[in-house]
Amino acid sequence: MTGPGGVWVYAERRGTAFRPVSLEILGRARGVADALGERLVALTAVPAEGAVHDLARFGADEVVGLVHPLLDRYDTRVHTDLLEREVRAGAPSVLFLGASRDGQDLAGRLAVRLRTGLTAHVTSVEVDPGHRLVGWVPGFGGGIEAGIVCPDRRPAIVTVRPGVFPLPAAGAARSAVRLVRPTIEAGSFGSRRVAFEPKGDTTDLTRSDVLVVGGRGTDGEFGRLQQLAHRLGGEVGATRVATDAGWIDRDRMIGQTGVVTHPKVAVILGASGAVQFTVGIEKAGFVIAVNRDPDAPIFDAADLGVVGDLAPIVDRLVKVLEGA
Amino acid sequence: MRTVVCLKVVPRPEEVRVDTETKTLDRSGVRSVVNPSDLTALEIALALRDRHGGRVTVLSMGPPSFVPYLRVALAVGADDAVLLSDRAFGGADTLATSYTLAQGVRALGGAELVVCGDESSDGGTSQVPPGLAEWLGYAQATYVDRLELPGPGTLRARRVLEDGTETLDVPLPAVVSVLGGASEVRFLDYDRWAAAQEATVNVIDASALGGDPGAIGLKGSPTVVAGLREVRKPGRRHEVIRLEPEAAATRIAEELRRLGLPPREAPSPAPPDAPTT
Amino acid sequence: MPGPEAKPLRWDDGLWEELARSTDAPLCYQCGSCTATCPLAEGGKLNVRQLVRLGGFGDGVKGSGPELPGLWSCTTCAQCNAGCPRGVDVVEVIRYLRARGWRRNDVPPGLRPLLWAEFQDGNPYRMPPSQRATWTRGLSGAAAGSTDGATTVLYVGCTSSYDPRAQRTARAVARLLAAAGVPFRLLGNEELCCGETPRALGVDGMFRELSARTSEQLRKLGTSRVVTISPHCFDALRAGLSREVEVLHYSQLLDELLSSGKLKVGGERAGTVTYHDPCYLGRHHGVYDPPRRLLESAGAKLVEMPRSRRWALCCGGGGGNMWRESEAEGRLADARVVEAKGTGAPVLATSCPFCVTCFQGAEGAGKGRLEIVDVAEVVARAAGVPG
Repeated sequence: MTGPGGVWVYAERRGTAFRPVSLEILGRARGVADALGERLVALTAVPAEGAVHDLARFGADEVVGLVHPLLDRYDTRVHTDLLEREVRAGAPSVLFLGASRDGQDLAGRLAVRLRTGLTAHVTSVEVDPGHRLVGWVPGFGGGIEAGIVCPDRRPAIVTVRPGVFPLPAAGAARSAVRLVRPTIEAGSFGSRRVAFEPKGDTTDLTRSDVLVVGGRGTDGEFGRLQQLAHRLGGEVGATRVATDAGWIDRDRMIGQTGVVTHPKVAVILGASGAVQFTVGIEKAGFVIAVNRDPDAPIFDAADLGVVGDLAPIVDRLVKVLEGA
Repeated sequence: MRTVVCLKVVPRPEEVRVDTETKTLDRSGVRSVVNPSDLTALEIALALRDRHGGRVTVLSMGPPSFVPYLRVALAVGADDAVLLSDRAFGGADTLATSYTLAQGVRALGGAELVVCGDESSDGGTSQVPPGLAEWLGYAQATYVDRLELPGPGTLRARRVLEDGTETLDVPLPAVVSVLGGASEVRFLDYDRWAAAQEATVNVIDASALGGDPGAIGLKGSPTVVAGLREVRKPGRRHEVIRLEPEAAATRIAEELRRLGLPPREAPSPAPPDAPTT
Repeated sequence: MPGPEAKPLRWDDGLWEELARSTDAPLCYQCGSCTATCPLAEGGKLNVRQLVRLGGFGDGVKGSGPELPGLWSCTTCAQCNAGCPRGVDVVEVIRYLRARGWRRNDVPPGLRPLLWAEFQDGNPYRMPPSQRATWTRGLSGAAAGSTDGATTVLYVGCTSSYDPRAQRTARAVARLLAAAGVPFRLLGNEELCCGETPRALGVDGMFRELSARTSEQLRKLGTSRVVTISPHCFDALRAGLSREVEVLHYSQLLDELLSSGKLKVGGERAGTVTYHDPCYLGRHHGVYDPPRRLLESAGAKLVEMPRSRRWALCCGGGGGNMWRESEAEGRLADARVVEAKGTGAPVLATSCPFCVTCFQGAEGAGKGRLEIVDVAEVVARAAGVPG
């Protein structure tokens, strides 16, 4: 199963749009494909043909659309089987997937199905002088990054978290589109969906320009952070400590195993600044931090650090901003 | 019902230091804990056992130093504990790790349900559970916060996705990855803790485990670390002030104003409801 | 009165016998004095008398288990003990009933993660042991506890080790001991949690294990005396350590040093102060006068709140409430701060880090300023060794 069969990007469709992470990867993958001297192929599995054409304006050499009405939801077995078939037929060198929940559900299974290497949650990719794709992942503890390669097996599967690469704009040029109509029936599915409840809060912290983040020092009182975020037109995020303590949804967790964000402004309240957290916020344009402990490491990661109790400061700040 | 809970021991995040000269991780003097979401997995498995009966076995792959942590799992309520330990398992990436764990499950005679934490706090990538399911040929459900057994042979799992929750029925046997924090973990029982110190933890090495020696450890890992580099962080102003709340708030507001905040358009009338758990 | 939906209660002889073996509950004749004096009885949230009574009802039959309302709101302030005409240790009954909750895995949310934090991190703050000694920054010589052969250990406790506000108290005590020429040593990062929180919450196994390990640690060091900063540590170590080790609260030792002339207090004079008796120093152990004498020696003019000494109102922090978002903490602390302001004193002094934290939290709610201080800080200022 050796290449050069191309650099493939699996684009995950969700309702009426592609997941931003899929497009982010597609944007970056153009450069990777060029550096490797291979074709860039975007691959998707959708219920109707129209969606496939949406993918054709993001710079791929070819867009392959697997189209079948039963592909209106993700199923591990259906999608693993479909992708396995396409990969064995096309023999790509690299396969990128977005590290959404379904994306990771699929990538982990597919990698074993194909007996190949999986480099997960890269924060950057490059092609080294030896023409190898290197995926950089944060070393545990932060401060260093490890470059992972998959020397022998193909395709090298790589997953990328949302917000790592910039979201490209759709271009004028269109990729060639190839439609495939696989045979899928009820028996192809490994699961039966009993219910789906859409979430009211579909906040995407990676898209926020302003983040107000709370840590241990909030003592669970996120109300004032909500007020401040609302005043500033931003969103509320949290450190691992706060989500582990059950003070706020896991979805709001920022950091190495949460989301990596790049807001214009981040206000960090009551977080010590452990590196597992700061890796999720260090791309922020401007960082304001408030902490009672003058020696908290967060001050090394901040532009403006305020030593003090966050509660009275935030309460006062909200009032000041309301008066503004 | 036979349930296997896969458990990993991880270093406490804040204690790992980076030696920027040698570009290695200094783990000396670092404390370890059972990976938090694996404890949640254990809780979910025990809750199922409370309702439906059966046995819960914890399974881990690691050095002998993992044994005390498996005893913690016994004190929380697991029925038995098995450790896959051999130098040959070392250096494994997710392909080799999931293979080895799958062999472990087979060595136990298989299971109807395998539960894992969704990811490990030492920079885990949540790729082991789906890989494990594929090696075993079991169904899978990932990012689950609730499990039920609606009828024989079927597992009902509620998955938490980015845009909502999806409830799926999958056939047993199945591998499930559970979200850390999905449930509070029952605290260990001190009488069981005392008994757990004497309990036998079954340690299985590579030859006892069997399987393909080329699929384990470094040999079975298609991905390798090619290099390390320091992360360059953006320069920060590093201005630190200490003022009374009134003055501090004014100072922060000034800075925010300079950055164009609050935005000119008025925000909507009321703040959205807090998405707290 | 139970309503029509109430589940029938079923007496369980086995459970009652266990309760009788573990506590003085059989002495109770249900007079209700405990409920009458309980600061949380208002609104029926916590009915102590009823809890003691319900302790004998079991849930051997599904659906007949009673609920124990308010069991987990109790701050273990022991006001009930002070009022009980039979001398029942009601707090012990509360702890016992809580232990039963843990056995059944029937505890309110938030407590399991707290116990896991204690188990995994060795303190309720989820802070690393490697940072336990950072409070000593700025201290040197004897004040840093560098006297190796010292047989007195200054036991800092988790709060004074990790909480920036409480660290000031720890530094004040250390400097005062050094100024009085008392050699002491610190346990540094090896200091273990005293286990007061697991104990108060009914997880006795953890408390006993921590006590055993600390006892062994002190035995190896040849320690004969332990001085604590927190009254909670004072209470827990007294209950848990082996008899050979004398356990004192810092106010008792400083009081001794003052009367023997070893501690000279003559500098900055404190003004008008009202003193709050921490439950775990006052009511639990009868230590009311040493902190007052210390304040007076520092030139303080003491005014008493209406509820003081044996009848002092709890700050709301005990019984595990420090780490939960509980109403109890907020309400009691607010009420106490109002009472303190009512004396006209600009300063509310106390000698417990939990009380200081609770009052500081309440302070923001009140108009006008009330300075919250620890007795050690007042004495340190007056002795010329500020924190």
